[in-house]
Amino acid sequence: MATVNITINGRVVRAEKGEMLLDVIRREGIEIPATCAHKAVEAFGACRLCTVEITKDDWKGWKNYVTSCLYPVEAGLIVFTHSQPVIDLRKTLLDLQLARHPNTPLIQEMAAQYGVNKTSYEELPDADDCILCALCTRVCDTMGFAAISTVGRGHGKKVAPPLDQPPPACVGCLACAQVCPTNFIKFTQAGAHREIWGKAFDMITCTRCGKAVITKEFAENLSANRNIPREYFDVCDDCHRKELAGTMGRIANWNREEVTR
Amino acid sequence: MNSRLVVKPNLCIGCRTCELACSFTHTVDGKPGRSRIFMLDGGYDKLWVTVTCLQCDDPACVKSCLVDALRRNEVTGAIELNQEKCVKCMACVAACPFGCAILDSGHNQVVKCDLCGGDPACARFCPTKALEYQPIAQTQKAKKVG
Amino acid sequence: MRIESPKQLAALRKDLLAKDKQTTKKLMVCCGPGCLANGAGKLVTEFRNTLKKKHIKGISVEILKETGCHGFCEQGPLVVIEPEGIFYTHVKPADVETIIEESLRHDYVIDGLLYTDHRTGERKRTYHDIDFYSKQTRIALRNLGKIDQYSIDDYIMHGGYQSMAKVLTSMTPDSVISEVKTSGLRGRGGAGFPAGKKWESCAKADDWPHYVVCNGDEGDPGAFMDRSIMEGDPHSVIEGMIICAFAVGARNGYIYVREEYPLAVQNLQLAIKQATDYGLIGEKILGTEFSFEIKVNRGAGAFVCGESSALMKSIAGEVGEPRAKYVRSVLKGLHDHPTVLNNVESYANIPVIIDKGGEWFAKIGTPKSTGTKAFSLVGKVRNTGLIEVPMGTTLREIIYDIGGGIQDDRPFKAVQTGGPSGGCLPDDKLDLPVDFDTLTDAYSMMGSGGMIIMDDRTCVVDVAKYFLKFLVDESCGKCTPCREGLYQLHALAQKISDGLGTEDDIVKMEKLSDVIIMGSLCGLGKSGPNPFVSTIRYFRDEYLAHIKDHKCPAGVCTALIRYDIIPEKCDGCMACIFACAVNAITGRKGKVHTINQDICTKCGACMAVCRRHAVEVS
Repeated sequence: MATVNITINGRVVRAEKGEMLLDVIRREGIEIPATCAHKAVEAFGACRLCTVEITKDDWKGWKNYVTSCLYPVEAGLIVFTHSQPVIDLRKTLLDLQLARHPNTPLIQEMAAQYGVNKTSYEELPDADDCILCALCTRVCDTMGFAAISTVGRGHGKKVAPPLDQPPPACVGCLACAQVCPTNFIKFTQAGAHREIWGKAFDMITCTRCGKAVITKEFAENLSANRNIPREYFDVCDDCHRKELAGTMGRIANWNREEVTR
Repeated sequence: MNSRLVVKPNLCIGCRTCELACSFTHTVDGKPGRSRIFMLDGGYDKLWVTVTCLQCDDPACVKSCLVDALRRNEVTGAIELNQEKCVKCMACVAACPFGCAILDSGHNQVVKCDLCGGDPACARFCPTKALEYQPIAQTQKAKKVG
Repeated sequence: MRIESPKQLAALRKDLLAKDKQTTKKLMVCCGPGCLANGAGKLVTEFRNTLKKKHIKGISVEILKETGCHGFCEQGPLVVIEPEGIFYTHVKPADVETIIEESLRHDYVIDGLLYTDHRTGERKRTYHDIDFYSKQTRIALRNLGKIDQYSIDDYIMHGGYQSMAKVLTSMTPDSVISEVKTSGLRGRGGAGFPAGKKWESCAKADDWPHYVVCNGDEGDPGAFMDRSIMEGDPHSVIEGMIICAFAVGARNGYIYVREEYPLAVQNLQLAIKQATDYGLIGEKILGTEFSFEIKVNRGAGAFVCGESSALMKSIAGEVGEPRAKYVRSVLKGLHDHPTVLNNVESYANIPVIIDKGGEWFAKIGTPKSTGTKAFSLVGKVRNTGLIEVPMGTTLREIIYDIGGGIQDDRPFKAVQTGGPSGGCLPDDKLDLPVDFDTLTDAYSMMGSGGMIIMDDRTCVVDVAKYFLKFLVDESCGKCTPCREGLYQLHALAQKISDGLGTEDDIVKMEKLSDVIIMGSLCGLGKSGPNPFVSTIRYFRDEYLAHIKDHKCPAGVCTALIRYDIIPEKCDGCMACIFACAVNAITGRKGKVHTINQDICTKCGACMAVCRRHAVEVS
């Protein structure tokens, strides 16, 4: 990969050719909003908040607005992360988001940063917190399960398991809920019982202390596909450490006795 | 990879300075996080064992990570967790046979020892040299001596 | 039978032509979507059965051909008798016997079935005499109505697969590309990207394999050009794709057809099977080293899957959502490999370009938009149907000369080109020569070629609202500006249509439109506000009438109109009373009826049934 020079907000910075512009911008400590970006998954370009203005010296004054999360860096790029049209765009986008999610703290905060405290559009009456960033489905895809997906299209699009039934492919890892930026995805965990997307999971409990370790489905998947001995999952992390300490302790004690003898 | 973190339980006095050094070193927001090193009871009188990631040659944590967030740092030899990539599925926490990847619930993130990028704070602060970050050649020698 | 060489192909054609000469007459029954809907299927069965029973010299079931769309859907079902080209309209199964006896056994022409010119009242004997046909130039639609849509032999007899043979035996990929470049052919799917340039970039891409994809996901309301080609002349699409595959070095091709076109899927699959049996698709085509396979993929009914990147995702089995194309699909398309994606009509043009040469093609049309373009004429136009005209033909020629003007001779108001995300052009644009650039300059677009003609009883606010609703529903929902922006834009249009809008709302809509255009991810979103943008540009007064005067000049927006019965005209026939679904009309026989405005839903049924035109809308 070749290193190239680009200009961000008047400052010349170095970047790898082909890396995504958003990564460079963030590395340079410039804050721009983005709700659908996550390093675990490929860039998506859905929220459009990371849109920036770009131009080049030889573009004869022509400029373009691109989503920086998806735009591969090339030499001579001149980037403005906070030009007026870009700020106006983000403001309107957040205004639109706020109309759909009037009660979602994340959106409220982001919108407030751009001076939108109340939406100028019609609020959705039965609003929920799902901002359709699709992080959950993309993470699930990347992990190889593809248990959930975006369903439908247009304004009625939603995230759901197939046919709204408990998803057969789900292993109950909770990654979807963990990456959800608005905590919209709900799950329950009571002892060794876990439930998400309407699917119930019995978890493996530690053979030593009884603590819940991991869902059976996930453990079996990992041991089958990732070549991890299944018995690794029978003991919790605390007990694993105690075991290790015990082993090391025995050796150390033996050494100590050797020395004193 | 030139050095290793060497643990000598017989020199350990159980002061837990390593744990404090670890949690403060890795804290970004001013509140100490969970330590990635653990001072545990060795099972014998006045014997304490500090346990931390062994940076295995064939690490179960790396194999268990489905989003490629765990990778070995070829310079330090440490298996490092990329927090930006982690999706907190807890696979590594469950898969590590030594329990050395843990959830820091205070910060809601999975953490593990990263050898502080090549200068582990635990070893630096250990008053009795029960923890030492040694060049590999020296550790081999130590092994031979027994 | 497998055709092993170009020579064998030529021999086959010769045989077919010789055989064809033995039949003196041909009976073409239009089996296009419009005629089928009007009962062409029954007509074919009737013809077949009757022909089997009769024993007329030189006339057998063989002469019956189920052709693709003839285009003049308004007059269907259509039957044409070749070689004269006698053109029968509105044919019913009852006419079959007469046609066979009069026109096939003897050479009589049945006057009652002929087309009558609405202006002169003159009956036209053959389709050559009809303006609708005589003013067209057919290239992509060349075989529609001329060949049997189920027969590969018919296609070969009409010169089919000759261009492919020429390409495979005497041309190089470079010379094919340069021929297509010379022709100036621009993508017929709407964007108008030069096809030759696209092929060249793909051919040059050093990342294998390459793919060839045909976009048959024609989703615009009121557009059926691609459908008609896929149904009526599937082999021309296949041949175009093979030539393209040869040029770009692809081995696999996909035709993506929308689920709503079952007949197109069926005919394409049949055509692929026939071509495979002949060895025109598959391994070592015509004994050369070139191999190519085609698969038909069915869409699942999402409009957005007509967008190239969403289409490729859909073929790959993923959710049909577009991706940002900062890296073009020519370099990173299907399965992340270089892919040429062209529209059905583009491929259908290719065999002709190869046959007659790029220069010949470039002479047709305008310098920057060469060739012809197929349009489907729908809406309030007299001759609805499928047409093909040279680029640069004016809207007036299309709508008045070919289309026959507006139904009931009402005033023309607007023509919507380019599908839902195109624009509405008013009457002062009627003399605009239609090509890619002029339409874009007039703030509309070519699109895939749907033309919806509107008369004075069409309300542009209502039209904008309709298309916005379509786009709200058909947006893939991936990116915020398109999903939420169009939703809000539609909500504001609804507000204006309900008579509750303000002038500020228009300003708000204009600003929102700018953001949607600037911020959306794909072409659907970027052109999504067009229904509003183009109507506000040309019909601002009508919006203002809704806002300021609370009136809908066209009498469409239900919140702003009322139906009344003019007492002087009403003769108390009670027709409207029976027609009213909500019992809003009262009155006794022979007495003047009245409409109860509180109950009336403004459906207009009373107006439609009143023979005395006693119902008025205001």
